[in-house]
Formats: sequence, C-alpha cells, structure tokens
Amino acid sequence: MLKLENYEAIINKCSHCGYCQATCPVYLEDMLESHVARNRLNLINQVLILKTMPSTPRFREILDRCLLCTNCTQTCSSKVPVDEIIIAARAETGKSTLGGLKSFVMSKMLQQRGLTGLMGKAGSLVQKMGVAAREMPQLASKPFSQIYSGTIPAQGEQRGRVAYFVGCGTNFLYPDTGIATVQVLTRNGWEVVIPAGQVCCGIPAMAEGDLAAAREMVATNLNLFDLDNVDAVITDCTSCGMMIKEKFSKMLNPEDPLQEKAQAWAGKIYEITDFLQQQGLSDRPASLYASFTYHVPCHRGWSPTVVDAPRELLGNLPGAELRELPDPEKCCGAAGTFFMEHRDLSERIRSHRVEQIEASEVQTVITQCPVCRFYLSASLNSQQVTHPVIMLAQAYENVSQE
Amino acid sequence: MSGLVKDLARLIGDNNVLFQPEDLLAYANDATHYFRTQLPDAVVLPSSTQEIARVQAYAYEHQIPVTPRGAGSGLSGGATPVKGGIVVDTKRLNRIVEIDRANMVAQVEGGAVLQNFHRAVEERGLFYPPDPQSMSVCTLGGNVATRAGGPRGVKYGTTGNYVTGLEVVLPDGSVIKTGGKFVKQSVGYDLTHLMTGSEGTLGIITGVTVRLVPLPPAHRTVIVVCETLDQAAEIVSEIIARGAVPSMLEFLIKLAITVMNNYVSQPLPTDGEAFLLMEMDGTPAQVESDVQTIKEICRDMKAQEVLEILDEKAAQSYWNARSNIYPLIMTIFNRCTSEDITVPRSRIPDLVRAVQEIAASVGIMIGLAGHAGDGNMHPTVLQTEINDEMAARANKAIELMIRRGLELGGTISGEHGIGIHKQEYLAWELDQVQIELMKRIKAAFDPRGIMNPGKIWVEGGAQ
Repeated sequence: MLKLENYEAIINKCSHCGYCQATCPVYLEDMLESHVARNRLNLINQVLILKTMPSTPRFREILDRCLLCTNCTQTCSSKVPVDEIIIAARAETGKSTLGGLKSFVMSKMLQQRGLTGLMGKAGSLVQKMGVAAREMPQLASKPFSQIYSGTIPAQGEQRGRVAYFVGCGTNFLYPDTGIATVQVLTRNGWEVVIPAGQVCCGIPAMAEGDLAAAREMVATNLNLFDLDNVDAVITDCTSCGMMIKEKFSKMLNPEDPLQEKAQAWAGKIYEITDFLQQQGLSDRPASLYASFTYHVPCHRGWSPTVVDAPRELLGNLPGAELRELPDPEKCCGAAGTFFMEHRDLSERIRSHRVEQIEASEVQTVITQCPVCRFYLSASLNSQQVTHPVIMLAQAYENVSQE
Repeated sequence: MSGLVKDLARLIGDNNVLFQPEDLLAYANDATHYFRTQLPDAVVLPSSTQEIARVQAYAYEHQIPVTPRGAGSGLSGGATPVKGGIVVDTKRLNRIVEIDRANMVAQVEGGAVLQNFHRAVEERGLFYPPDPQSMSVCTLGGNVATRAGGPRGVKYGTTGNYVTGLEVVLPDGSVIKTGGKFVKQSVGYDLTHLMTGSEGTLGIITGVTVRLVPLPPAHRTVIVVCETLDQAAEIVSEIIARGAVPSMLEFLIKLAITVMNNYVSQPLPTDGEAFLLMEMDGTPAQVESDVQTIKEICRDMKAQEVLEILDEKAAQSYWNARSNIYPLIMTIFNRCTSEDITVPRSRIPDLVRAVQEIAASVGIMIGLAGHAGDGNMHPTVLQTEINDEMAARANKAIELMIRRGLELGGTISGEHGIGIHKQEYLAWELDQVQIELMKRIKAAFDPRGIMNPGKIWVEGGAQ
C-alpha cells in the first residue's frame, strides 16, 4: 500500500548527497533546489511525518510540480523510491486542484472504455479551455478495442500464447501501435489474446494520489486476464509496464487475495520490443531505409533491457540509420497529464528535446510512450514520431514489397 | 514579505528571491544534513556577477550574514547557513565561457557543473582531471572554495593545482579578478590560491580559469583482490615506492565492494577482504607497461587475484559505483560520517591498522574507501542506529582516528574542507600562531564578519 507511514524508515535513507540534481528535469529547468528529490523528501518528512512544518499551498505546489518521471529514483543509489513517497504524500494531502479536463479524463474516460460519447464531450471541454488543438491529443476515429479483440491466431508455427494489455494511449490515441503489435506478434508465431473489458492501468489516477480509483482499475484488470495459459503479458507502453511490474501489487493491501495475481502479472509483463528481442524474431524483416533516433521514455527503470531492445531490433536492419541524441534519456516534459497543468514548464523542458531532435536531422523519432509520442509530435515539424513496433511492422512490409 | 525580501527583490527581481519556509528548507544544509540548525532568512538565485555584487553590497551595508552555495553536495557543512541571513545560490551562473585550446586553459562561471565541463573539454581532446565524486552535480566554484580533489589526485593533483585565475565578489560587494590565463605569475600575494580553499569565508567565487592538459589516449582499469586490509595497504605503498603512478588508486574494503555490486553490470568477486581499484592512463605503450609493473608488484606481494578489466562499459560501471559509494552505503546503514584524513603515503599501512584497532576498541563499524594512492583515506563511521550512545561512540572513533592521523604526520582534511564538521579539530593540526594569522586575513577581507560566518574555526573557542 502506498501509505506514507510505510515509507517513514526509507525516507531517512536519503543521504542528502544531492546527486538527484543531475537528472531532475524540473530542477534543471527552474534550478530551485526545493524541486529536487532530496528536498521534496525532506519537506514531506518535516510536514507530514515529523509535523514540524504546516501543510501549506506552497507545500502542495512543490508536491504537484513533480513529473513522477523516476529519473531521481533511477539516479539514487540509496534506492529511495521517491516517486512512491510523493504519490503517498499527494494521497495524504487530499485532492489537488485538478483542472476540469484533467479530472474528467481521470475519472470518466480512463475507467470506462468504449463510451464514444465521452470522447466528444472531452473534445468540447478542450475547446472550452481554449487550448490549441495541436497541444491536445487527437482521439483516433476508432479506438483499438473496436479493431481487435478476442484471440488472434499465430501465423505459421505457433511458438506460444501472449496476452495483450492495451493501454489507453494505444486504445484512444494511437491504435496503429496496437495494430502493429498484433501483426508483429502473430507474424512471429505468437497467438495474441486480447481480453475484452480492459481498463486503464491506473497510473494516471495513482499519480494524482487517487489510490482508491487506481486500486479499482488494477482489480478490474487483474480479474479479466487468465495468466495460467499465457507465456507473457505484453504492453506497448513503458508507463503501463512500470505500473504493472512495480506498482500493481502496491495498490493492493498486503493481504488482498488479488496479490497473487498481481505477482503473476509482474512476473510476466514485457514491453513489446523487449519481448521480441528476448525471444528472437522467427520471421526476419529485411529492410528499413530510414534514419531515426530513439527518445528513451523516462519509465524505463522496470526492465534493464527495455532501452536496448528498439535499438537492437531496428538499428541493424539494412538501410536503417540510428542516430543517437546527445542525451537520449532526457525527459520530453509531458509526463502523463502533467503538461496540461504545467504548460509553461513542460514546454520549456520539451524545447531542449526538440532542439536535439531537430539538430539530428532524422526522419523519424521512435519511443515506447504514447504521451511522449503525442507531446513531441505537437512540437516537431519535420519529424514523425512513432512506436518502434510500428517501424518494425513497416520493415516487414518492405520485405513483402521486394 | 519581510523588508529584507523586498529589498532583495528590488535588487535582483522577485522571481529570483525565495522566502517561503518550504523553499528555505532546501538551502538549510549541504550533504551533512545533520548539521542543519536553522533556515536562512532568504535565498537569492542570481544569474550574473553584477547581481551577486549588488546583493553582497547590500548585505555588507546591513551587516547580514551571507552563505555562498554551489550544489550543496559538500561533506563538511560549509554551505550550511548557521547564522541565517542570505544564501547566495551560484548555480545559475553556469556558463562555460571559453575553452582556449591555444593556451590550454578554460574559463567558466562559478556555478558551472563539473561533469558538464568534463564533457565539454573531453569532446575537444582536452582533460580537466579533478574529479570529486559528486562531479555529476558539484560546481567549479564550489570545487575551488573547498579545494576539492578526487581519485585522480594521485597522479594529477587537486583543484588547487589547476586554478590560474578567479573572479571573486568580495564581502563589501567589490569585484576582483585574480590571476589570468597565464601559467605563471609573480606579482604580489597569490590571492588566487588564497581564495582556493577559503570555503566561502573571504568572498564568492563567480568565475574560474583553469589549466587543461591533453586527454590521455589510453586507459585501463585493474582490480586487485587482497586477503587482508594490511596486504592491500602494503601493496599501495609498494606501488608508490616503485614509481608506478596510476591515474587513480582506490582502496576499498569488502563491504564497499558488496554494495557496489548492486550497481555494476558485472559483479566483482567478494572473497577478498580488501580491494584496490586502479586506473592507468597515458599512451597505449605506457599503460601496458604500467599494468605489467602493477602485476609484478601484486605477484611479489602475493595478492589473491589481479583482474584486468578490458570491457570499457564494465570498467566505467565500477568507477560510477565508486562515485556513488556514499549513497550506496546508506542502503545498509542509517548514518555514515565520512572522514578525510590524509597521511604521507608510506604511512597508509599504519593508518589502515589504526582504523581497524580503533573500530574494535570503540565498538563501531568503520568503512574504508579512500584515495589510497595519494594518502587520502576516507574512514567512514557507519551507524546502524541513530541515538546518543552511537553518536558518542562515533565521535570517540573520529577523535581517535584524527589524532592518529596527525601522529602519522597527516592532515585532518585532504579535500573536503573544515566547514563546521572539523572545526573543533583545527587547533589539533594548526598552531595558534597560524590560526590567529588566518583570522587576521579573514578580518582584512571581511571586517564585518558577514561571509559564511561560523566556519573553519570555532568562534570564541579555545584560543
């Protein structure tokens, strides 16, 4: 359970070395030490645990001005789970001052899929807020859930069976990622099972500190899938992957009967390119003919190989030219719904990323996060942003054309 | 908003002044958080030397304490505002102004981050060796103020050996430029090197000019596994005595390797009691011959195992883990106090033996992970619990180690500085004449006593 009382000991493991300054995108923008993990932790300790300082609007602002990107937790060799402590603190301080759109997205859209009417309503809310259309995600004309569901058989000899957890990004914004995922998996001998009724993984609600809502989504998903008969659970989204691998179990009480299922998920969850790279491709794509760069998503810490997989799968294909950015792992500033509430800050963080990408002069940017994909697309004019599995699917098409 | 905050906002803009307690808390200590006593009254985030000079002149006029701050990663409490007042954060002065290849020097602003600077010069085939282990965040100005060192000290020396010029805002707000791009100067007192190591008590370092050297074309990491701490210490002495000069020569006990193994891609064997982590650099031929010398010494001295790390990535991961040893050790302990004792290098075996004896007699764990190659050991007192009894034992052990270090002809600090952490031991090392002389220098720079007050010596303490 993400309760602050469970973190009272570990919060003191912070040695105050301050090395978290090196990788915090918010700190590197504002250069306020109050926004660095070391000081967020100390402040949470003083306000909520030791109670030497009152809880104030400024305190809440410091809590809210965190991307939960986990760059600090990945940098921290004392292994303090900063993101979880901030989430627990958000939960403890109660509702934040969420904007109308954001709370709507959170409470309605992500919990109830397939209600197309809701999407229209979301669209009109966006207009009401006066946000430039380009700066808000465009919903796909048809969600992925209406394109594929049920069991899709493997092509050729079957190597095994996988369950596909379809994230909200793929379902609502980028069904093309889902289509490519199914195509590449089946092409490589994997039968794909897509249980109907899947809901959001819960990470946006958890990020807000709405742990009850997150728990509900986790439970719904856990109950939908029968993992006994699959070799793996596949996600195409690194944030869903992190949620499933590292947080599902923490959304439940320790004695919750669903714990066993949560553990089983954690043991079987793979990001699609990571899975393909580890299992090997039985059907080899022959050519790519594209220059591309890899924007590494922040939520990469849950698998040591998830950042190598796209590079290895695509980088060596004939015609492929992978040009690495000076800082491939630099945050783009989107961070789930963070950019809706902190537009100026997010845009400043993004500008450095965009600068590096434009300087690289590649045709395509790949990334395994739908929010990075959307947010970078909104600011890039000459490059398309896509998921590596889509590029891989295209590489197969190139073969069949030859 | 207090009058102070309003005045500061008028001087440098209200976006650049922090005054809410939630923000002030972040500037109330450095990496030695246990020395935090109070919040500063205000924090300023200037972006230019002129802004700092304005704040400093104001503070001088109103006799307000000023504590300069870099990354706040120091290990002596030097950036802790023990008297409140204004914290001047220099991190927004972070430009690399010039890398001058023709003169092999570079100029940076005081808040430039060391690692960014390393990258920038190395991209040009140049090298700035000083490598305090906080290099991912620490600032050049802070490095100068603390006379920071690091593993490469054994071959290349420390920050002080590279600084050729400074820009400094003095306590009254006037700005001086000392030294320059030249590599030698014989004009009056050497204020550049007086400011170096002054720990923010004489002024604020806003600009730094340093000497560069060519980037060595080759390097190799070697790890020596030893059966005992004594054996490792003897090997260090022998390496120095035979004239082999590794670019880094780190002494690590088994505990250090154990926690580092959680961080590296290829874990090291843990069947030894002590380990030497070394790097040789230079031309490929020189590296090869140095490695052979090291191997011969280790064979003669009957080291358990010598590992040559040819995989660059693996080697880098060992050095990264070494940099992170302080936070890594916190996964096991609840407080670690890193000492900075430095002895003449032939006395390393004596110091290592003394530390083990002191740990046993006081009944507390003391880790050893130090830059043995230059005699700078970091015996680190490790506390599993934080309570008065453990604190008393820790203090006892620290006192005994410092005494023993001094008896061995050593110094109480090699590279961290005195700050507040070691001020009570200052008089153990320096005689009264020197301390009084330092105080008169301080008074000449800072007659009103506003610059980083409460540091280096104990105020009103034993004379």
